[in-house]
Amino acid sequence: MKNWKYVLIAVVLVSTQLLAACAQEPAAPTAAPEVAATVAPVEPTAVPEPVDITLWAMATVTEAGPPPDDWIAYDRILEEVNVNLKYEILPTGSDGEAKLNAAAAANNLPDFMQMVSASNDPRGALYNLVQLGLIAQVDDMLALMPERTQKHYNDPLALSLSTFDGHLYGLPEPPPIPRREGLLIRKDWLDKLGLAVPTTPEELMAVAVAFTEQDPDGNGKKDTYGLGGFLNGDGMGTRFDFIMGAYGVAGMWDFDDAASFGLNVRNEKYPEALAFFNSLVEAKVIDPDWPTLKRDDFRARWKQGLFGIMWEDFAALSNKSNYTPFDENFPDAEWVPIPAPKGPYGDATYGVYTGRGQIFAVSQKAADEGKKEAIARLLEWMATDGYYLLGFGEEGVNFIIDANGNISTEGLDPTKAYTAAEFQPFTQMRNQLVFYNSTQEIAARYPNWTTINGRTMQPLTYLTFYQSQPWVDGRGIQVILPPANAADFLRYYTEGIVQFALGQKEVSDENWAEYLAGLDSLGAVEYEASAKQALIDAGLLK
Amino acid sequence: MTIDYHPNSNFNKRLVTFKIRSSKLLNIMWRQRWIYLLILPTVIYFLVFKYGPLWNAQIAFRDFKPLLGVFDSPWVGFKHFEAFVTSFYFNQLIGNTLIFSVAKLILGMPLAILCAIALHETWLKRFRTFVQTTIYLPHFLSWVIMFGVLLVVLSPGNGLVNDVIKRFGGEPIPFLTSPAHFRWVVILSDIWKETGWSTILYLAALLGISPELYEAAAVDSATPIQRIWYISLPGILPVIMLITLLRMGHILEAGFNQIFVLYSVPVYSVGDIIDTWVYRQGVLQFQFSLATAVGFFKGVIGLVLILIANKIAKRVAQQGLF
Amino acid sequence: MLRVRTRDAIAFQIGVAIFLSIILFIILIPLWRVIVTAFVPLDTYTREGIPFFLAPWDWTVEAFRQLITHSLFPRALLNSFIITGLGTIISLLLTIPMAYGLSVKNLPGRNFFMILILFTYLFSPGLIPVYLLITRMGLTDNFLAIILPPAVSVYNTLVMMRFFEGLPDELREAAALDGANEFQILWNVMLPLSKPIILTIGLFYAVYFWNEFFTPILYLNDHDLMPLPVLLRNILISASFNEYVEYDAFSSSALESLKAAGVLITMLPMLAIYPWIQRYFTKGTLVGGVKE
Repeated sequence: MKNWKYVLIAVVLVSTQLLAACAQEPAAPTAAPEVAATVAPVEPTAVPEPVDITLWAMATVTEAGPPPDDWIAYDRILEEVNVNLKYEILPTGSDGEAKLNAAAAANNLPDFMQMVSASNDPRGALYNLVQLGLIAQVDDMLALMPERTQKHYNDPLALSLSTFDGHLYGLPEPPPIPRREGLLIRKDWLDKLGLAVPTTPEELMAVAVAFTEQDPDGNGKKDTYGLGGFLNGDGMGTRFDFIMGAYGVAGMWDFDDAASFGLNVRNEKYPEALAFFNSLVEAKVIDPDWPTLKRDDFRARWKQGLFGIMWEDFAALSNKSNYTPFDENFPDAEWVPIPAPKGPYGDATYGVYTGRGQIFAVSQKAADEGKKEAIARLLEWMATDGYYLLGFGEEGVNFIIDANGNISTEGLDPTKAYTAAEFQPFTQMRNQLVFYNSTQEIAARYPNWTTINGRTMQPLTYLTFYQSQPWVDGRGIQVILPPANAADFLRYYTEGIVQFALGQKEVSDENWAEYLAGLDSLGAVEYEASAKQALIDAGLLK
Repeated sequence: MTIDYHPNSNFNKRLVTFKIRSSKLLNIMWRQRWIYLLILPTVIYFLVFKYGPLWNAQIAFRDFKPLLGVFDSPWVGFKHFEAFVTSFYFNQLIGNTLIFSVAKLILGMPLAILCAIALHETWLKRFRTFVQTTIYLPHFLSWVIMFGVLLVVLSPGNGLVNDVIKRFGGEPIPFLTSPAHFRWVVILSDIWKETGWSTILYLAALLGISPELYEAAAVDSATPIQRIWYISLPGILPVIMLITLLRMGHILEAGFNQIFVLYSVPVYSVGDIIDTWVYRQGVLQFQFSLATAVGFFKGVIGLVLILIANKIAKRVAQQGLF
Repeated sequence: MLRVRTRDAIAFQIGVAIFLSIILFIILIPLWRVIVTAFVPLDTYTREGIPFFLAPWDWTVEAFRQLITHSLFPRALLNSFIITGLGTIISLLLTIPMAYGLSVKNLPGRNFFMILILFTYLFSPGLIPVYLLITRMGLTDNFLAIILPPAVSVYNTLVMMRFFEGLPDELREAAALDGANEFQILWNVMLPLSKPIILTIGLFYAVYFWNEFFTPILYLNDHDLMPLPVLLRNILISASFNEYVEYDAFSSSALESLKAAGVLITMLPMLAIYPWIQRYFTKGTLVGGVKE
């Protein structure tokens, strides 16, 4: 038999791998000493040893991978702030959360890291790790990075939300532009059917019915719906807040004042809002897949012209790459933003904004090794000398600053432009650690462009409109920690609401009282009390 | 009770027979020494890579704190087990889990066996190769992809099935969001995806049956059905028994990946299973001790069932595991 | 197998063929759907979604091109081959002897070993206890962290054991009388007769390692070590997070097409391997083994 040869090769391979693994073992706890050794000869004299910093952060463009080992920024960071940076990309969502949590469980966190949360609650993730004693206080770091503190850590509320027991534990990066989602309607459909922009729930219903039944796209088939959306969180999610808001009950909590604080379902207008939503469902004017649809499916559907009213992020709607497929299908179509409908009691709320941004933290281990100062140096550099390099690349090669002070790629080799796919590995840190929503950045990120039939698309006008609408300040939600029986409580809370919305349960006084009683049996009252206390302690409720 | 010290007592006799037996035993063991040597690496592997983590899994009985490590975290006994067993939806979670895993077993397995027998029986060689290769491919479709396919087939808006229903004047059925239909969607889509894959094993088993048996059957001019009933099925019975036994051990695994992708709020009451609950409660909230405790809970149930099933298998078909 | 062409037998054959055709048809629906999705051009997709049949002139390999020409693709593919190849070999080397040992009914201590491994089948320690062990062993950024924890599946071991049990005892006894030791019996007698099951179990292991993405994410920090499933996942996540990636479209295909193309690419090696395995499903079985 000749197969034994292969077996032999395999055995050798395995044993060498095993040996290599064993050999690595003692070196594992301390970070890569051999890297430091190769650096040492370059700087022979009085300069202190470079500090090794391992950074875990999510990617801006996950498909692009990390920057190469010979990235110029690594050299400059070493030269200018004497830090030996090891940048490792954290996966997004639950994968990243599992990775971070596993590292935490093994007390093996990197020096400096981004908090990852699949449920978009980075503060909750930070809180958990702080409770476990794995995260270092960073109060003293702010003074070491004055410029960055002024640009990034200037929001007292954000800072207070990363503060536990009087100490700052997290560095809150500026959130993505707040209040960036809004209500949109197909103006071309309205015009074709001779309808006006709806301003109340009833008018919304009428328009939705017309969009469903009067063939607004004129293809002779009854293949459109008035409304599209999907469920993206607890309760009714955030995508139908404009409907709930018409009854004054947008979001999970009533943040108005300490006296009225509590779950919105306590409000007697809540079942009314659900009854209205149910009438949309019963009239079959909402895409019937809404309870099970995922976001990507939803986005594919509006691009196929399936519905005429929706809630969407301004960039996901109107940036060139996102809008173009829709533009090609329907060059004459136009989505216009509309105000929040006003309900029977005069309520109108667009949505609830939570102001959640990314939070970075230093591990206690790194602090014990005296690395905080070096991390502060690095962060300050990212906000000053390194800002353009990490955000856009090298001036004159990857971007230029034109006469108006705008970032531009005019006259550059298109494959080297900062916007090119090839260049994305070099600006992976930009959304996490570099950008702070300056005017120059926003102009560069959301430029105007021209559609196929010559209309000018201005993403920022959508944004401006959205932001001018009546939003509920829901930033307090960040301090509310989930109850101990979160899986049960949130399931009961959400399941009940959706059952009423779908008509699986009829909205009646009796059923609603029963629902609330069940919620209480799961500890709703205690949860409200602890949430209220947390908000008052944080100074967010008066 | 008195103790007999008489030289010719039973005790001494037993001692003698024990000595003889043990020397016999040692003798047998010595003769089988090569087998011990053969399995030694795997046994070591199991001690390190399976029992090592199980030793760490004592965090199920502790309040695990990373800074203190596994062995110094405070001992809390059955607290995490209690938290699970007394949780609000416990009965429903167990019920849903059992329904899914039992239904997948008793509906999926016969179909896979049937496919394997049909493939084994057919005379069309190329057709067989083609079918065999094709039906095992859906195994590679992730549930995320399958969700997309199911949406196209089942959507009440423009899904294929509902198109047919509408054409015959029926009301469209929201299969994916209706509690009355969701369980069937889960069970049938699992069978759809995995039947071809499980066929492989039964086919391999059928090929292990001695051809002489089939030749003898042909000589006796047995009908095809007789051939299947008296040769094929008994031939693969040991494998069927084994797989049923092993599935009993994992009776509380109902397919996390599938449910997690397919379920949605309106069908939580019929779709939520133990593992999705643990995901929402344990993993997302840094409750690793709880997750491990639930894993143990499932193990205990599996252990009881596998012991019972083993007894039955031994008595009925002499096909036990131990 | 002898084929007696009686009327019964032929009717039976027709029944079997019809049954298999129905199964094939049902199973082809999702598969066909995925294939169409992978080849649908972006503008057709955004216009009308995914049609059930593509016009012969209206298809594109753009999604495949986009995935395969990705700069990290060759490296990821290589990593996947290494993990799958090495993993399958290690798995089989550990599984076969154990399965063989357990198949020897009169082995003293057999029940002990059986319970030893069954216990680990029933009680899974979960993510963190395994993670603690692997990181303490210093296996971070090492393929062995992906390969070793799942290297022996109790299920596969017992299935293989059952096949060994099915082989006639006379074979072993005859070989033992000829003076062969257990190594030689396993190697020269049992294995050649067990090709179907060894290939099947090998396939099970290979498919597991080929598809695995979670443990690479957990244990590999170095991007150069990432296998294919992780890369595909990253590409797909990126395509669906486009509201924060404002620059030019990186994707000239629909997200759905990318997903489908990714699945087909990962299927391809498995599609190639299985017919090859099937050759051994008809040859190398017991035929003649007992008579010699």
